[in-house]
Amino acid sequence: MVMCKDVVENIIGYIDAELDDKTLEELEKHLDECPECQVFVRTYRKMLELTGKLRERTFVTPEIRERLKQLLKSKLKPN
Amino acid sequence: MIGTVTGQRGKETSPPDLVNTTDEKLIELFISSKDERAFEEIVNRYADKIYRLAFKITRDYYSAEEILQEVFLTLINKIDTFRGESKFSSWLYRVTANAAYMHLRAQKKYENDVSLEDYVPYDENGTLMGRIKAKDWSDKPDKALLSEEAMEIIEKAVNELPEPYRVVFHLRDVEGFSNQEVSEVLGLSVPALKSRLHRARLYLRDKLSDYFYEWSK
Ligand SMILES: [Zn+2]
Repeated sequence: MVMCKDVVENIIGYIDAELDDKTLEELEKHLDECPECQVFVRTYRKMLELTGKLRERTFVTPEIRERLKQLLKSKLKPN
Repeated sequence: MIGTVTGQRGKETSPPDLVNTTDEKLIELFISSKDERAFEEIVNRYADKIYRLAFKITRDYYSAEEILQEVFLTLINKIDTFRGESKFSSWLYRVTANAAYMHLRAQKKYENDVSLEDYVPYDENGTLMGRIKAKDWSDKPDKALLSEEAMEIIEKAVNELPEPYRVVFHLRDVEGFSNQEVSEVLGLSVPALKSRLHRARLYLRDKLSDYFYEWSK
C-alpha cells in the first residue's frame, strides 16, 4: 500500500516527471486522498520556486567590487 | 575601461559587443590579446556567483571576499590550465569551491558534521499525519513570500543547512545548475548529490514551514 513515505521518497522524480506510469498512478491516488501529502507537495514546489529567486539577489557590495577592481587592475597591467 | 559605475544594483555595463559574447570566446580574447574588456565582462558575469558560492561554503564574508579575489587572480595567472574540456563556468566554480575548502581547512573551521541522511518528515509508520498541514504556508500571497523579509528568512534557512547539503542545494536549486554540472564542480557522483539534494530539500521545507508559521503568527 502506498504511504506518505512513498510520496516523500519519490518527490524528486514526481516533481521532475520522471516516474514510471505505475508508480505515478499509485502516488496520485494517495495524493488525492491525503491532505497532508497535498500540502507537502505544494510547499515543496513553492520552496523551489522561492529559493530560485535567491539567485537574483546581489551580494557583492560596491566596496567589495571596487577593491576587486583595484587589485585586478594592478595585476592586469604590470609595470 | 575599468572604473565606470553605471547600471543597476552596482553592476557595470559592458560594451555591447561583449555582452553577447560567450564565456569561452571572452577567454580566448583574453588569452590571445590580453583584452582587458573581455576580462572585465567575465568579472561582471561571475563576481556575484563566485562570492555567493564562497560564502555558502565558508559562511564568512571576509573569507568570501578573499576567495573572490583569489579566484580572479587564478584566472589571470593560470588561465592556461583551463583546457576547454568542461564548460568555462564549471571550471571557474570548481576553482572557487577548491579555494573555499582550502580556506576552511586553513582556518581549521570544521562544522560539526551533522548528517541529514536519516532525516525524514514522516513518522515510524510512514505517515505524515498531523505533521504538515497544520503549518501550510503555500497559500500565502506572493507579495508576502517575495518580500525582502521573507527572502531573508529563506536565505537564513538555506545557510542553516549542514555544509555538504548546503553547497549542493545552493548550486542545484539556487544557481539552477544541472546534476551534471554540480557533479563536475564538486567532484561528486550524480547519485550521491541527488541523495544529498533530497535530504537538503526535505530538511529545508520543514525549516521554512516552521519559520513561516512563526512569522505569520
Ligand atoms: Zn500522505
